[in-house]
Amino acid sequence: MARSKLRWLLAVLTVAAAATVAVIVATGAYGSANGAKSGAVLVDGTTGTVVNIDPANQYDYDSFTVDLNIFQGLYGFPHGATLQPVLATGCTHSTNLKTWTCNLRHNVKFSNGDPMTSADVKYSFDRVQKIKGDQGIYTLLSYLKSTSVSGPYTVVFHLTAPDSVWPYILSTNAGYVVDKNTFPSNKILANTDTAHMIGTGPYVLTKFTPGQQAVFGLNSHYWGPKPKNGGLIINYYTSSATMKLALQQKTLDMAFQTFTPTEIAAMGKNKSLTVHSGHGVVIRYLVFNVKRPPFNNINVRKAIAYLMPRQTIATRVYHGTVEPLYSMVPKGLPGQYDAYKSLYGASPNLAKAKAAMKGLKTPMPITLWWTPTHYGGASSDEYVEIQRALDASGLFKVTLKSAEWAQYSGALGKVYGAFQLGWFPDYPDADDYTVSFYQTNSFYNNGYSNKTMDKLIAKERAATTDASRYSYLKQMQILGAQTLPTIPYWQGNMIAVSQKSVQGIDSTLDAAYYMRFWLISK
Amino acid sequence: MTGTSLRTYLITRLALVLPMVFILLTLVFLLLRVAPGNPIEAALGGHVPAAYVHQIERRLGFDKPLITQYGDYLWNILRGHLGTTITDNRPLSQIIEQNGAATLELTFFAMLIAIVVGVLVGLVAGRYRDTPLDVFGRLFGILVYATPVFFLGLMAQLVFGVWLNWLPTSDQASPLTQALLQTHTNIYFIDAIWDGNWGALWDVTKHLILPASTLGLVTAGVFIRLVRVNVIRTLRDDYIEAARARGIVERRVVYAHAFKNALVPVITIVGLNLATLLGGAVLTETTFNWPGIGHELVLYLENRDYVAVQGIIVVFALVVVAVSVLVDFINAYVDPRIRY
Repeated sequence: MARSKLRWLLAVLTVAAAATVAVIVATGAYGSANGAKSGAVLVDGTTGTVVNIDPANQYDYDSFTVDLNIFQGLYGFPHGATLQPVLATGCTHSTNLKTWTCNLRHNVKFSNGDPMTSADVKYSFDRVQKIKGDQGIYTLLSYLKSTSVSGPYTVVFHLTAPDSVWPYILSTNAGYVVDKNTFPSNKILANTDTAHMIGTGPYVLTKFTPGQQAVFGLNSHYWGPKPKNGGLIINYYTSSATMKLALQQKTLDMAFQTFTPTEIAAMGKNKSLTVHSGHGVVIRYLVFNVKRPPFNNINVRKAIAYLMPRQTIATRVYHGTVEPLYSMVPKGLPGQYDAYKSLYGASPNLAKAKAAMKGLKTPMPITLWWTPTHYGGASSDEYVEIQRALDASGLFKVTLKSAEWAQYSGALGKVYGAFQLGWFPDYPDADDYTVSFYQTNSFYNNGYSNKTMDKLIAKERAATTDASRYSYLKQMQILGAQTLPTIPYWQGNMIAVSQKSVQGIDSTLDAAYYMRFWLISK
Repeated sequence: MTGTSLRTYLITRLALVLPMVFILLTLVFLLLRVAPGNPIEAALGGHVPAAYVHQIERRLGFDKPLITQYGDYLWNILRGHLGTTITDNRPLSQIIEQNGAATLELTFFAMLIAIVVGVLVGLVAGRYRDTPLDVFGRLFGILVYATPVFFLGLMAQLVFGVWLNWLPTSDQASPLTQALLQTHTNIYFIDAIWDGNWGALWDVTKHLILPASTLGLVTAGVFIRLVRVNVIRTLRDDYIEAARARGIVERRVVYAHAFKNALVPVITIVGLNLATLLGGAVLTETTFNWPGIGHELVLYLENRDYVAVQGIIVVFALVVVAVSVLVDFINAYVDPRIRY
């Protein structure tokens, strides 16, 4: 009797479970249901973290990706990697490059309908300098003494020193124009305060859920061409593997930043997805503390330069998603020159490395530092390849050491003799890839100081024509390759993955490294 | 006499909470400071000159003596000022409200699944001891208990999300549902009901199934064994024999008498397992990109965000302490032998 009742109970439970499963399958094969019709809204995924949306305290790429949709500067990169006026119609400068006068575009409105005038521009710059946000974006305005206005459509910037790249600074988030009526002058807006986060960009931030989602609607007052989609949602993921699953399940229309090379290779084989690739401006390089033995010996640095296995790293570690780099300035930027290729060759050269190490005891024990938590999981493979190449030469015995980013970033040249770093530019110009690294007292404390280089930097900053500026930049690249405070080794492509139905991504993959969502449709 | 003893027990129990929480807060403070690196270097190092990094460190008080920082930290907690995160300027209260709600949603449904599965399987295993049902129940309990929760989660994603494509593998809801749903409580399940948005409710439910089942099954493993043992022991008690002798049907003997008594210790274990559940939630949330407080804790730990980590652990500690005090109180109320 009891057994028959149990069998009955089991039968009921089985039928109930089957019915539940049937309902789930019928209402979704999940991938097609998604809970709501999407219309023309584009859904993007990223593994980034937004720190600050308020441009006065925003200094990371993920926050910048949000801001790019809402705000604009006097200059920018609306099409490709060529700097162009955006909210300005143009700027002129004094002979000494210390005074810049910019004329504003007329009839531009903020997303709330307020007209944009020179008062808003002055307010925006004053605000960044006054607040001095802890993310450090105000450091980009270190040359700015004051901002003045001359009528509603003219702004004048007074600098403390000549700065030929001032228009590039105007294109950074330090130069984004905000509505003086909605942004407080002395504090940062909270990320969730979307009602006051008012700019002139093609979108309006309608909702921000930290760590989860940024939702953008169309700016009905936008002065430029209408976006090719009906809105944008950026979804945030902690892990690229989870984001890849979401893409495969069609939860996302596209994903940008950052998949591992293995994931990109796997998605390239997926018939329902498209991997888009274009020139990027992210670089990876090895830094030497030029005061710390044995790297204080330039011949040791030269030998490593001769042996750097760039192509092996690009192929074996990154499956072709990066390309070998022979200058601190990535290809695609005006003024770039492959200084390391001309000095040390395109491929490893054992004979020349041996010649450089002549008279030194070999194999020389050296330690290379890298970090596993800031530059992606492939960093360990990257450094294993460098170790392999140096050890195989018989000239070095390499020990690899790593530290988590929080510890690593505070140590750098203070503690390490040779260490991994990457760079994403403040603005896509060769200046940002040279001055930042080669000036005396650079941010990584590697002890490098070269008077000739410092003079070249000053001349480049004071150059009044592009031709002369690029000439100085070339000389800086050559001198940098000769004196070897760093060795660059790869330049990353800009990669996005999308459903087949998504159009327009390729038009935004360029050296400006902007993801111009407004050009993308589905 | 009993009432006075219970009151004394409760007061003593509450008094013991204070040193426990104080020790935990101190340990958290010290362990974070001992780990190399600080949040400013983590955020700005490698991009901004060292002088600016030091400037900001001074502004935020990281250059003060450790004892001063410790004093400030305790004073702020006493005043209920958990502060604002360093890395992304979020008030801790917002994290607790928003992400805490997501964790509450996940752990509630996980506990529900744990209790239902654990009690049912444990009951059947205990009732049909030494039969194939019992063997299956015990094996199942051991398997789900021993499997690391993140591995179980990955397998669930693979089978139900990738191979079968039946269920979503991440997040609390689909992107459009998240974008359109009005947040009243930050618990999406309740918010969808509140708005009468049945499409959103179904979407949220589908997103809950895998993470809640993963976390719930791991906890169910504990309940299965406990319920089974209690059922077997209870069925051997004299009053059960007496009930059978009086001619009461077996079904009534098992379910109306033995089962209820077998469940009493389970209530205690449910409360005590809350701490395990919260710990498992950290891994589950990371696996499923569930935006709970555990998921945030992992991110803030990586960035050495002292304020965020301290604040979140304080909240975890207070929740676990509160539940354990409540469980102790219930036990003391039910069982007069439990006293200091």
